[in-house]
Amino acid sequence: MQTIKLKIKEEVTSGAAKIPVEVDPLTPDKLAGKTEAEIKAVKVWWGNKEENTGDLFDVSVEGEAGSAEEVKIVLEGDLSRVKHIGDGMKAGEIEAQGDVDMHCGAMMQGGRVTVKGNADCWAGREMRGGELIIEGDAGANLCAMYRGEMTGMTGGKVIVGGNADECAAQYMAGGEILIKGNTNILAGLNMSGGKIVIEGDAVMPCADMTGGEMMVKGSKVRDIIPSFRLVGTESIDGVEYKKYIGDLAMTEKKAKGVLYVK
Amino acid sequence: MEEGELLIRNGVVYDPINGVKGEKKDICIRDGKVVEEVKNPKIIDAEGRVVMPGGVDIHSHIAGAKVNAGRLFRPEDGRKGVKARTKVCRPESGYSVPNTFATGYRYARMGYTFVMEAAMPPLAARHTHEEMVDIPILDNAALPLIDNNWMTMDYVKSGDTDLLAAYIAWMIKATKGYGVKVVNPGGTEAWAWAKNCDLNDAVPYFDVTPAEIVKNLAVANEKFEMPHSIHVHGNMLGHPGNYGVTTSTYDLVKGIKPYRDRPAMHATHTQFHAYGGTRWGDFESKADVIADYINKNENVSIDLGSIILGDTTTMTADGPMEYSLYQITGRKWTNHDVELETGSGITPFLYSGKSPVNTIQWAIGQELALLVKDPWKLALTTDHPNAGPFIGYPIIISMLMSKRRRDESAEDMHKVIFDRAEYSSIDREYDLNEIAIITRGMAAKTLGLHEHGKGHLGVGADGDVAIYDILPEERDAGKIQKAFLNTKYTIKGGEIVVKDGEVVATPAGKTYFVTPECDEKLTDEMMVTLKDRFEHYYSVNFNNYPVQDAYVPNPYEIKAPWRS
Amino acid sequence: MVEVTDVVCSLCGCVCDDIVVEVEDNKVTKVKKGACAVGKSKLMGHGRIESPAIRENSSLKECSYDDAIKKAAEILAAARKPLLYGWSSTVCEVDKVGVELAEEIGGIIDNTASVCHGPSVLAIQDVGLPSCTLGEVKNRADLIIYWGANPAAAHANHMKRYSYISKGYWTEEGKKKKKLVVVDVRKTTTAKLADVFLQIEQGKDYLVFSALRALLYGYEDVVPEEVGGISKKNLLETVRIMKEAKFGIIFFGLGVTHTRGRHNNIVNAIQTTRAAHTHTKFSIMPMRGHYNVNGFNQVCTWETGYPFAVDLSRGYAWYNPGETSSTDLLVRRECDAALFIATDPGAHFPAESIRHLSKIPVIQIDPFPNPTTEFADVVIPAAISGIEAEGNVYRMDNIPIRLRKLVDTEYMADEEIMKRILDEVRAIREKEGE
Ligand code: SF4
Ligand SMILES: [Zn+2]
Repeated sequence: MQTIKLKIKEEVTSGAAKIPVEVDPLTPDKLAGKTEAEIKAVKVWWGNKEENTGDLFDVSVEGEAGSAEEVKIVLEGDLSRVKHIGDGMKAGEIEAQGDVDMHCGAMMQGGRVTVKGNADCWAGREMRGGELIIEGDAGANLCAMYRGEMTGMTGGKVIVGGNADECAAQYMAGGEILIKGNTNILAGLNMSGGKIVIEGDAVMPCADMTGGEMMVKGSKVRDIIPSFRLVGTESIDGVEYKKYIGDLAMTEKKAKGVLYVK
Repeated sequence: MEEGELLIRNGVVYDPINGVKGEKKDICIRDGKVVEEVKNPKIIDAEGRVVMPGGVDIHSHIAGAKVNAGRLFRPEDGRKGVKARTKVCRPESGYSVPNTFATGYRYARMGYTFVMEAAMPPLAARHTHEEMVDIPILDNAALPLIDNNWMTMDYVKSGDTDLLAAYIAWMIKATKGYGVKVVNPGGTEAWAWAKNCDLNDAVPYFDVTPAEIVKNLAVANEKFEMPHSIHVHGNMLGHPGNYGVTTSTYDLVKGIKPYRDRPAMHATHTQFHAYGGTRWGDFESKADVIADYINKNENVSIDLGSIILGDTTTMTADGPMEYSLYQITGRKWTNHDVELETGSGITPFLYSGKSPVNTIQWAIGQELALLVKDPWKLALTTDHPNAGPFIGYPIIISMLMSKRRRDESAEDMHKVIFDRAEYSSIDREYDLNEIAIITRGMAAKTLGLHEHGKGHLGVGADGDVAIYDILPEERDAGKIQKAFLNTKYTIKGGEIVVKDGEVVATPAGKTYFVTPECDEKLTDEMMVTLKDRFEHYYSVNFNNYPVQDAYVPNPYEIKAPWRS
Repeated sequence: MVEVTDVVCSLCGCVCDDIVVEVEDNKVTKVKKGACAVGKSKLMGHGRIESPAIRENSSLKECSYDDAIKKAAEILAAARKPLLYGWSSTVCEVDKVGVELAEEIGGIIDNTASVCHGPSVLAIQDVGLPSCTLGEVKNRADLIIYWGANPAAAHANHMKRYSYISKGYWTEEGKKKKKLVVVDVRKTTTAKLADVFLQIEQGKDYLVFSALRALLYGYEDVVPEEVGGISKKNLLETVRIMKEAKFGIIFFGLGVTHTRGRHNNIVNAIQTTRAAHTHTKFSIMPMRGHYNVNGFNQVCTWETGYPFAVDLSRGYAWYNPGETSSTDLLVRRECDAALFIATDPGAHFPAESIRHLSKIPVIQIDPFPNPTTEFADVVIPAAISGIEAEGNVYRMDNIPIRLRKLVDTEYMADEEIMKRILDEVRAIREKEGE
């Protein structure tokens, strides 16, 4: 096992302008096999300039790794302006010890990212595989698609400890999401596959759904889309749920999504 | 070294317009033009590689309202072709709908130096020109849509081809256009009421048929010394069983005498018009029937509209066709009808080798090229981006040049290719001379541009040259494809613009436009009706309509005098 | 005195081009025909920024154009994340220089769509836009729906020139044979003219669109008795009117782009249009605000591939509104310098953005003083496009029209100012490179 500690330097986040650092080159698969000096020399974008990782982070490396699977990156300090953590990562582990900025775990294919705080918008965007655990809240567009795409998350597993903001899992086509808190409007928008469980409440869930399944365990589901068809009740794990099929606004032929609410 | 002099030495030259078929020959350029000899030039040693005139694309959608609507609604396509700026180049984006800069760079990297924007909605002509100015390197021109226009249909109805000629002359001048474009004649007007028209249907409210529109426009066009014929995207594009409509459309110009040595009609993206069957289930290739017609007749030239597999963005002024495509896919769909003139539709589309229909479409494009005997009758196009992006041309070139490549590719396609297309039974292989014809010579001639220095390397021609990094005897399809994607050198007006596949200079291109010269009395008479149309029906004032000179900073005017 | 005809108004997205004015002593002295009240007042002119100025010790000090331009270039060249914002009330030629400058400085370029019809653009990127030019509406439409839009106030000539009140080829009798439907949260002036007024509950637009779609597709059984404050009976009646129309159009405004659901409301409005199109001809169009807000989106799209909120930090375009859009950037304090051209963030941006702007260098280019002038560090006065400078603009329906120049001016045109800033930046870069 190898642990790479990256602690963001205070001067990076203390200016009048809080310019994000974009760390997509700092994933286990990209850093595996590099020495401490080599890691320090990896270029990351900070605004319109490319900087050495070592100039923005205190870097320390412990242990050795035979492959990316054995690499764990630990990010420390004020990460609220660190974007693209684990973006595109294929293997290994990243642990972010605090709130992180946008696109955390975007395009992830494998490995695991754990966020000890909140994750800003587009966490898990277009995720294909691996595991993303957000212990706090997730911002808008969790696990959604990129602008204009008709496919969002296709695989992998996501757990959000807190709430998720608007449009969680838009265009989800596969994979699993568990949200322990509430979701804001339009969770599961355009969903065509995969499974979402929301332990809290939801507002206007699953609009334009054509497939997949959502279960809302909370007692409050407000503004159910008026083009869903109530088809009956079902008992799941001893709890009675109303079962809706939708979204008929997409026409009957396409309305193959299932929504369970209490 | 003499400023402005260039000598390309040791190249094997394919210059079909001048009958040069792979000869070792030097090319001399001074002040942007091909000359007999140079004194003290900068020298490029082509080392026995293939040299051709700059490519000429007869039909491509690269600029204007619907191209930009395609870019705007496909950020997901935008992120596919991203390339950072360099010292010379501005940033690139997009695959099927590249930004203006990428459009210029990518064409230039393939050795092209002229592209015809194939559909300019007249009311939005300023937009087309704004974008063409922004496309680096390429010389360009645009064809205004003049077939679904109310004025056109009214004159077709009254049968007054002189007044119709006066109208098209005004329109071509007002839009700084190059010729007459026809797209789903009558059908696009019908689409304004969500309807469509077949060739002999009456256009709702206008009491004319598409067939009459095409015929009258061809007659009117030939009243001037127009460099190009009418340029026709016929009715029923993309519908199974449309091949009969296609040949009937071709028949319409039989007996119309063209002004010069070109046919009276150019029929575009023929692949989309060569369909048999009655529905998608029994869909089949009728490329043989179309090719047979072209082989036996002289009234029509064609371009291919060959399919490139993969995702693309379809866009045409054929609103109803785009709607039916969108109904098949359920993907995003933009429509934009233009008052008194035309319309347009845009929707993304994936051509998949697993789909039987797409497989047959893919075969048809290549079959047409292989079955039409005289390459001077056809041009290579993909109707960019409709059948696929223009950067797929090298794929088609390699297919046409290699039977083996075709056989290998057919294996990966849906097996329907072996029973509903003639594809695998055709042995013909193109040689480089024939490739030079379908990628530059034919287009230049059909557009009448060879008389203005395009598409050939005779003395006086523009110093537009492509040097491909292959030897004439190369047979490896992969190497051929690679060579045609990125030139060793592209030279534009005597200036090296691409070297080893990298853009090294980005001079501005010229815009070619035609000025048909119409009798004043006719024009005056036509103008009374036209002004009335503006007064009552257009939402833009007459005086704000014509494209101002400011939009064409590098103009090249071609005058087209009245013939009788 | 000379009379100038075919004058184009440079105020709102209607871009009226049939205005007649009188010019005397190099001044517009009278607007004779064509313009609405606000258009008229713009043409007649009002108070200007008089001189270029640079802020020193918290007050603006007049200076030469040269000095102001040089200062602006220094600020931008030094920035790590500069924002270039505005671009909607100037001409496309200027927007082009703006994109080039953004590339040169590795900045973010964004226009006012970001705070108005940005959601419409995002919706178009999801589902497309079945639409048409305004002349199509004038000649053919027998059903006009204004949804969350009040043209009587914001686009005064819209109904007269293009829609409900206009007369065209198949609509010779004007409004007599047309139907007007208005959907809004309150009874607006436009609503008072409507045949059908649907008073919708705030923030329920999305639900109402879904219900209309279900009804248009024939699933009456699933739709509840009331949706978003509108009875099923009224919804059914609206659907009947939609189906019976020969040519219907929905015009929508900020009333639906800026309520709960935002751009997804527009996705649903467009989906509703698609559903209606299975019965008859149906189109939809955003009521774009500034006269050239659309023009910037066009230019930015053909040059960068994306319509607004384009981040060029890495030397190529990255587009992600919500992240790369101005208010988001400023509220998150991501930018370290800003240039505002032909716009007034001081009046339109959230307070947190303004607080951040007061901490970073700000450049303003504008003919007129406005709240942004109060905190700008460099102020550069410009000629007024459409009165003192010509150029191309795009109407709300994508029709390009050329603004005319009516009078001469001593003020520098936006295009020249921008080109000179770009030249200065390049000069600085060259020096740095040495
Ligand atoms: S409606 Fe708009 S464009 Fe027309 S005159 Fe009034 S402000 Fe100007
Ligand atoms: Zn075409």
